[in-house]
Amino acid sequence: MSTIQTIPAAGSTQDELYQDAARTYGAALERLARAYEADLEIRRDLLQDIHVALWRSFAGFDGRCSTRTWVYRVAHNVGASHVLLQRRTRSQALVGLEELENLPDAASGQPAADRSHALDRLLDLIQHLKPLDRHVILSYLEGLDAAEIGEITGLSPGNVATKIHRIKAVLARQFQQGGHNHD
Amino acid sequence: MTDQKQPDSNQIDSKQAQQLWQSQPVEGIKMSAEVIRQRAGKFERRIFWRNIREYASSLVAAILFAYFFATTHIVLFRVAYALFIAGLGWVVLQLHRQGAAKSMPAAMGALTCLQFFRAELERQREVVSSVWSWYLAPLVPGFVVLTAASVIARPYPVGLAAAVLLDAVVAVVFLLVWKMNRRAARCLQRMIDELSAAENSH
Repeated sequence: MSTIQTIPAAGSTQDELYQDAARTYGAALERLARAYEADLEIRRDLLQDIHVALWRSFAGFDGRCSTRTWVYRVAHNVGASHVLLQRRTRSQALVGLEELENLPDAASGQPAADRSHALDRLLDLIQHLKPLDRHVILSYLEGLDAAEIGEITGLSPGNVATKIHRIKAVLARQFQQGGHNHD
Repeated sequence: MTDQKQPDSNQIDSKQAQQLWQSQPVEGIKMSAEVIRQRAGKFERRIFWRNIREYASSLVAAILFAYFFATTHIVLFRVAYALFIAGLGWVVLQLHRQGAAKSMPAAMGALTCLQFFRAELERQREVVSSVWSWYLAPLVPGFVVLTAASVIARPYPVGLAAAVLLDAVVAVVFLLVWKMNRRAARCLQRMIDELSAAENSH
């Protein structure tokens, strides 16, 4: 376990790796933090924790996976730790994609009035998911392909494909006005 | 019948959901390596104080027992209080070793989400499922000696009644703590089983 004494000196490759990653994936990390925490202040703390974890992790970056995979793994792992920690204080029950697919949905059939409402609805959906399914849907929304999602999460390609299929069905149901899209 | 999707916000498909997600406004927070370094220090201090809060109740109880130890002249009571202090010291040591909030592992990026999440859940399950051995059992010798001291040192039946009452309350509290932790362990095990199922499905 790293401690404050093991923080490396400034100007190392670790700093450069971190700066590159923060520049490239900064916006994605913000979106990810938003998916793990609804409260603005706690979210800012979480985002900073993700950045700290990322910076620290680059001390052990060995290039065996892409920087992108590394960054998302670190971010999701910090997010999952946050969800576990919040479980103690929040009673919100988390569901899996399978359950979400089968649940009667209060919002289904109601139009999302604008982009902001649609985004709120999407965030609400994501924030109710169990960590592993949350990793998959977020990676999917970020545009990662099934192979990359498998590399980040550790799920088999077949399992990722099944989950993506479910995600598409859930998204379609959540965001399409009931029946109006079928002529 | 064809599936005609209108390009309005009511009928976005999964591709549109990706666009919606990726185009959401962000604050554009930037942190220099120097700020990160400071933040890492802050993070370690936050972990330190979080752990101190976890230990606080044990430390307060230990101070109280130390006071009782210093003020009583009955040997058996002194032995009981000393056993309590030793037991609480053991509890704090175990809390620090296995249960306390930890710093972020540096190898986080080398672990897949499944590996990391499973390790975290298993660590927490071990902590709560072994609560009897590291949290409750170390306090039992103190209570046994305190019971004997109460019976011997105080006149019958006051000493006996006080001892029975104290032991009954302690037994109920221990039972509740044990049951709550068993429930938490079962909940964590369910989550681990779900991960195993996800890991093994193709």
